[in-house]
Amino acid sequence: MAMTPRKRAQVSRAIQYAVLVVLVLVLAFTADWATLKAAFLEPALVAKQFPEVITLALKNTVLYTLGAFVFGLVLGLVLALMRLSSVGPYRWLATGFIEFFRGVPALIVFIGLYFGLPTAFPGRQLPGGTFGTVTIALGLVGAAYMAETIRAGIQAVPKGQVEAARSLGMTQSRAMVSIVIPQAFRIILPPLTNELILLTKDSSLVYVLGLSVSAYELTKFGREGLNDEANLTPLTVAALCYLIITVPLSIVVRRMEARAERAR
Amino acid sequence: MNTRLMTSAIAVGTLALGLSACATDTTTTKSGVKVIKDGQLTVCTSLPYEPFEFKKGNEVVGFDMDLMKKVAEANGLKMAVTVTGFEGIQSGQALNSGTCDIAAAGMTITPERQKAIDFSDPYFDATQALLTKDKSLNSLEALAGKSLAVMSGTTGELYAKDKAPKTVELKSFEDLGLQTTALTTGQVDAVIQDNGPLLDFAKKNPDTFVTAEFQTGEQYGFAVQKGKNPELLASINKVLKDSKADGSYNATYKTWFGTEPKS
Repeated sequence: MAMTPRKRAQVSRAIQYAVLVVLVLVLAFTADWATLKAAFLEPALVAKQFPEVITLALKNTVLYTLGAFVFGLVLGLVLALMRLSSVGPYRWLATGFIEFFRGVPALIVFIGLYFGLPTAFPGRQLPGGTFGTVTIALGLVGAAYMAETIRAGIQAVPKGQVEAARSLGMTQSRAMVSIVIPQAFRIILPPLTNELILLTKDSSLVYVLGLSVSAYELTKFGREGLNDEANLTPLTVAALCYLIITVPLSIVVRRMEARAERAR
Repeated sequence: MNTRLMTSAIAVGTLALGLSACATDTTTTKSGVKVIKDGQLTVCTSLPYEPFEFKKGNEVVGFDMDLMKKVAEANGLKMAVTVTGFEGIQSGQALNSGTCDIAAAGMTITPERQKAIDFSDPYFDATQALLTKDKSLNSLEALAGKSLAVMSGTTGELYAKDKAPKTVELKSFEDLGLQTTALTTGQVDAVIQDNGPLLDFAKKNPDTFVTAEFQTGEQYGFAVQKGKNPELLASINKVLKDSKADGSYNATYKTWFGTEPKS
């Protein structure tokens, strides 16, 4: 079959579009839309989720995430610097921490902290109630990931920058704080946002801690609604609320990146 | 084959796989009972719930499971257990989504649940009970200002929401195991649950006590998908009736509770 490469590319593309269209049509016609809608999007039940889904659940999700992110970022920066340190024990400690908390499921970290601490030190609990526990548990996991990101960012700053700073008379740590770290953060903005989005979703793991109603976040709130109504609509509402948080976040970061690019 | 054709082929293949996975055809046994998997009675349950259902080695055993085995035998089927969350069971989603044929999870028959699932005849009388480490906490009123662990989606949660003083802090947990661990590690002051598993737990953990029982007139039932499987429902009811008549129900009861049922 004699076909020019160009012709062949066209035919192949046409086939791919056709397959896609068929796929969508088959799904559209075989899905049980009525039942799906009754189970996942019951308008009366959607209305019932408000305003608490925003004033309580969304608020708590944001609080837990921010707490964990701030705690994780600070700890992650410390860990990254420890990993780059010339002092052996610092490096070993940071490596051990990172390997542990990056390798263990966040759910187990939650349960371990919540049940382990009071077992080890009877009568003592983490400060700050549920918020404190989430901040620390999720923050430890986040810190492990962020430490590696930050380290990579620091290493990506050209060596000449430090040399130039040093030749201006800055000390090593001064150069790190004023020259290297600010540039590193600009480089790692996208992966840090990724981490923030992951933390937003992982904050749902708080469900393994005993939760009073005022501590419900989006997923727990949705699941409680699922229990009460024997219908999945509350979970759909919760899912949409997550998108309210995460999609604008992605957009803002894309803008910031574009601006940074232009400024170069 | 060039890469583009390859992608198309993969797409078609995935589609075919996806569609065949979606199809939840049921098969019918000789006795007329519909099951999702040929020759097998798939039972959904939620663990741990000793002595109704809990793991022993790699097997899920317990009072409910023994009764389920009888139902499976009566229809010439083999019992297979699928462990899922209780909320999926009580909301009917586990049955509707074709995860299992029957749900056996020490589940109380309530009007709300009856809207979502079909219940068998009652097979067990239950009450709510309070488990604590402090014997003086012997009523919901005594818990004022303290914390109480409830399990999400259970009748114990509803009872506590309804009857406990407003100053009692209700904390909702996923399962009985987390509830009792929260009590033993001092995260909560008391646990509310059905009496069966709590009495069992207190027996095995001498520093915990069942300090109160609340007569709620609750009865457990097995569940099948709403309106879709009357044959299976009839079969369960027949097995329950027959086993009560021939004494095998009492024997099973004694195996797991140590006593014969009061009647």
